[in-house]
Amino acid sequence: MPRITLAKGLNAGLRAAMEADPKVLIMGEDVGKLGGVFRITDGLQKDFGEDRVVDTPLAESGILGTAIGLAMRGYRPVCEIQFDGFVYPAYDQIVSQVAKIHFRSQGRIRMPMVIRIPFGGGIGAVEHHSESPEAQFAHTAGLKVVACSNPIDGYWMIQQAIESDDPIVFFEPKRQYHADKAELDETVQPEPLFTSRVVREGDDLTLLSYGPMVKTCLQSAEAAAGEGHSIEVIDLRTLSPLDMDPVHASVRKTGRAVVAHEATVNLGMGSEVAARITEECFYALEAPVLRVGGFDTPYPPSRIEEDYLPDLDRVLDAVDRSLAY
Amino acid sequence: MPVNEYKLPDVGEGLTEAEVVTWKVKVGDTIKVNDIVVEIETAKSLVELPSPYAGTISALLVEEGSTVAVGTPIIAVSSGGSEGASLPAAPDAAVGAGAGAATAEPGEAKDEQMPTLVGYGPRTAGTKRRARKGGATPPSQAGELAQEQLQGAFTPGTEPDEVEEADEPAVPAASVRPVTETETHQSGQGKVLAKPPVRKLAKDLGVDLTTLTPSGPDGAVTRADVELASAGDEASVVEPSSPVEPVETERVVEPVETTARTAGARETREPIKGVRKMMAQAMVDSAFTAPHVTEWVTVDVTKTMRYVDRLKAHREFRDMKVSPLLVVAKAICLAARRTPEINATWDDQAQEVVFKSYVNLGIAAATPRGLVVPNVKDADQLSLRELGTSINELTATAREGRTQPDQMSGGTFTITNVGVFGVDAGTPIINPGESAILCFGAVRKQPWVHKGKIRPRDLTTLALSFDHRLVDGAKGSRFLADVAAILEDPSSAMLY
Amino acid sequence: MSENARHPSNGDFGPDLGEVFGPSHADGGPELVQLLTPEGERVEHPDFTLDLGDDEDGAIRGFYRDMVLTRRIDTEATALQRHGELGIWAQLLGQEAAQIGSGRALRPQDFVFPTYREHGVAYCRDVDPLRLLGLFRGVDQGGWDPNEGNFGLYTIVIGAQTLHAVGYAMGMQRDGVVGTGDPDRDAAVVAYFGDGASSQGDVNESFIFAASYNAPVVFFCQNNQWAISEPIERQSRIPLYQRALGFGFPGVRVDGNDVLACYAVTQAALRRAREGSGPTFVEAYTYRMGAHTTTDDPTRYRLSSDLEHWKLKDPIARLKAYLTRNGVADEDFFAGVEEEAEKLGEHLREGCKALPEPSPLSIFDQVYVDQTPELAAQKVGFAAYLDSFEGAH
Repeated sequence: MPRITLAKGLNAGLRAAMEADPKVLIMGEDVGKLGGVFRITDGLQKDFGEDRVVDTPLAESGILGTAIGLAMRGYRPVCEIQFDGFVYPAYDQIVSQVAKIHFRSQGRIRMPMVIRIPFGGGIGAVEHHSESPEAQFAHTAGLKVVACSNPIDGYWMIQQAIESDDPIVFFEPKRQYHADKAELDETVQPEPLFTSRVVREGDDLTLLSYGPMVKTCLQSAEAAAGEGHSIEVIDLRTLSPLDMDPVHASVRKTGRAVVAHEATVNLGMGSEVAARITEECFYALEAPVLRVGGFDTPYPPSRIEEDYLPDLDRVLDAVDRSLAY
Repeated sequence: MPVNEYKLPDVGEGLTEAEVVTWKVKVGDTIKVNDIVVEIETAKSLVELPSPYAGTISALLVEEGSTVAVGTPIIAVSSGGSEGASLPAAPDAAVGAGAGAATAEPGEAKDEQMPTLVGYGPRTAGTKRRARKGGATPPSQAGELAQEQLQGAFTPGTEPDEVEEADEPAVPAASVRPVTETETHQSGQGKVLAKPPVRKLAKDLGVDLTTLTPSGPDGAVTRADVELASAGDEASVVEPSSPVEPVETERVVEPVETTARTAGARETREPIKGVRKMMAQAMVDSAFTAPHVTEWVTVDVTKTMRYVDRLKAHREFRDMKVSPLLVVAKAICLAARRTPEINATWDDQAQEVVFKSYVNLGIAAATPRGLVVPNVKDADQLSLRELGTSINELTATAREGRTQPDQMSGGTFTITNVGVFGVDAGTPIINPGESAILCFGAVRKQPWVHKGKIRPRDLTTLALSFDHRLVDGAKGSRFLADVAAILEDPSSAMLY
Repeated sequence: MSENARHPSNGDFGPDLGEVFGPSHADGGPELVQLLTPEGERVEHPDFTLDLGDDEDGAIRGFYRDMVLTRRIDTEATALQRHGELGIWAQLLGQEAAQIGSGRALRPQDFVFPTYREHGVAYCRDVDPLRLLGLFRGVDQGGWDPNEGNFGLYTIVIGAQTLHAVGYAMGMQRDGVVGTGDPDRDAAVVAYFGDGASSQGDVNESFIFAASYNAPVVFFCQNNQWAISEPIERQSRIPLYQRALGFGFPGVRVDGNDVLACYAVTQAALRRAREGSGPTFVEAYTYRMGAHTTTDDPTRYRLSSDLEHWKLKDPIARLKAYLTRNGVADEDFFAGVEEEAEKLGEHLREGCKALPEPSPLSIFDQVYVDQTPELAAQKVGFAAYLDSFEGAH
């Protein structure tokens, strides 16, 4: 079975989706001839043509706005935003239009659209190329938001997202694009899209994350095991809607929870997860739910981004604080 | 001749009032729909208002120059006839601070067309909560509340109470070994449920949550559970269940030892909390929910006292304490068969009476930490010896302050022994969740008519309080009489 | 800096455009396309011919009727707002010709992306005006099915719909309904927007995308001279139709109060789009006779003399003059139209009050195609909450 990176997984998933449904279109800056700045759409325009893999003018709002029109005409656009920090020109079309059209029209118009956004840092880039804006979209009613963390999820989740008739903002951890490989077995059916998953079992504490930090959390759990602590790691995968059932079951078992993400702690996804855990698992909690994330500053210059990004030590410090209660 | 009133609308997304500047029509004019009738000035602009109605102007309700609130009727138009009901002009409508609320409408208005304010402009926010169905407060976990009170009421608290001396030779106070402490945050201990403040308390008191039986909602360990478990380092605990011996021995309650108070203070204050608070709450709930009726009977228990002596000599009972209380306990279990209501519960919420096929017999015990009522489970199923040992164990545990919450829950009937204190009888308050309580007084030698002559006999008083919602006088009396009959002649127990 | 100040420079950058094309309240400039003068005289134009088929008179009478009824919708809705039945209404008074002229040039398979003021175009697409009222009354946010009349929902965000229009047109291209030569099949999109919207980034991006992909879209801009209180001079230093050239496609300015010219120009632009020749910018030069909406007070920022100037150019008056003077319509016809307008007014008044109120619980089901468990639970909880109050049923 092939061992693939996240980029290859997404590429294969997009290809499969394009083959399955002629209404699926890919559009974005440099997605066609170049195959995307991260090569996620590599080779697709050659096989599916310029009408289906569309190089767009340099205008994010234009990409999203025309995608809306295409969706109204019956197409299933997959928009690529080149970098997380560049989604903001399209923000109005996303939150004022994409998120609301189904509601506004009382269900008469559907927005079966996927908005792919490479996110997160750790790639040594200049400003605006390492953002984590997922909470802003998760907070917007009418959108659904997911984040893959590994090649296999990338392969399946992109197809599932394209199949959905609801608009989905699809976050891809860019620093994982060409990193770890995993074996893809296409015969194994994936879980439903909007589910979270326990990726490592444990008894002492539940560590929750998504996207680029899942790997960090798994590494943290490994290190913690060496210290005699058994940590359960959950990949949230879906940020809106959140799938909290496995999370609550885990916290009821362990009694402790830490949420980790690159985005700033203040009003990040961790806040919502913590609030829900506290509400549902109050009697089971041995310690308050702790959050690990970026500081309340804009993302720093890349030479110090590794200090900014929560790493294994910061995660385990939070684990220690939790265990100390 | 219906008369329609046009109420001032909000013409500008959130306006609350407007000034009537110029009337464009006068009383008696005939108008069509949408004819301009008035010019008003708002915070934003000058606006001409078209009439929603056709007909004849029957009244201009507001004077030029006055400012009115949105929703105030400003003009009346009578449709159909010119003679329409003549309306008195509205009193000069004062500036209304609140938006949306219509002022009183003068005159009659049949077929009134109400130009609805379609929810624009600020709504008058009420300052009172809307009435809910069923009258009660939002759904509370009534059951849990009750249980909490039940447990809490009879749980030793942190307030040191008056210490009563035992009447029998005082049992040496067992020094309570502290419960083995384990770290409350060890691995794999996540299964214990408790609120964060409770966990902290357990940690502070050195109590291992995992060893406790939870009595809180959703199976959580409560603060009371922790406090109870932490109790047990007090000296001179009372033997609660022995009655006053025959009068030969002077039974005097020793002077009360009070805790040191602030020297010289005329008043001191102690906060109402913990066990005291919970007991008070439970008492109040019970006393003011169930209509209490108390009945007395004086009983010649001479035969019971002799029976107890014989039991003490009996091989089977040689190694354990036997007292008249045991016979009372047995009598209750037997009599309950004939009057099951005495052992039932009035479930007001469910509007059902719960009859129980078991007797969990509670024995009220005064301990240094307060009133404790542990109960013997399935007392009616036990042999006399088993009943006796159970009662003794309960007593011993209570003495040591180690009564577990589950021992205190689920009771169906309670005995309170005031004879210990040399008291004859009382009007006991029913234990919440039960329907009756028997107060067992001191046994004294007193003159009695026995076989036609005045003889000194062992007498005692039984006082039964019962919940008159469930137990009427006849039943209560019958039960009490049955118990008395057994005490008067233990051999009558054979009849059951 | 005043609009006429100039900085000295060392180079010659060509003519001073502001001087050549003058301020906005002039007659619209020398390139204004007109086929019917304000006095009701027919005139010809070298580039645009009126093609109304076999029954031109009937069609023109139809325009008159359409405009009168459209104006009636507008005045009735304005009155309803004053009665408190609508929260707000966006008036189109004065713009009837631009909307009926362009609206009647549409074929059934064309698709329209309106702003929130195209009540006349809605009328042409057979959208029941009561459906429009629902939005302004607040019972819904767009109560008609866009796919029934091929008329999109109103978009409140200024200019956002122009991108949707271009995307839709790109979809038409992929569906193979552009440039086939079959008049019943070939389709195009009309994107309506105003002079204020032309400043929005999205509108300019829509020009870029339309040009880049040669999309079959007609950008129909009703320049009614005002964006609430801001005049066109604040939005653009060049006549709007000339912007199109900058983006790479033709632009034309038409007399927005001349229903015949609006029809002819839009028809030509639509044909261009349908045949695959790409986008056209049509600027309908008109005037917003009423307020921006019923909450606006134009007396605060414009002169009544401007209004008087434009009253003389009224779209309906000039057509009535033409019809009367040339015997194309008689008194019976005009009376019939008036009566129809009265009936329409009543229909709107009665119908508005009878519009069904939305149920608070309905909102939970309209957010997604695939309901989330969370929303389902919220709906249940909210239903229980509503039911817990006395008087609830």
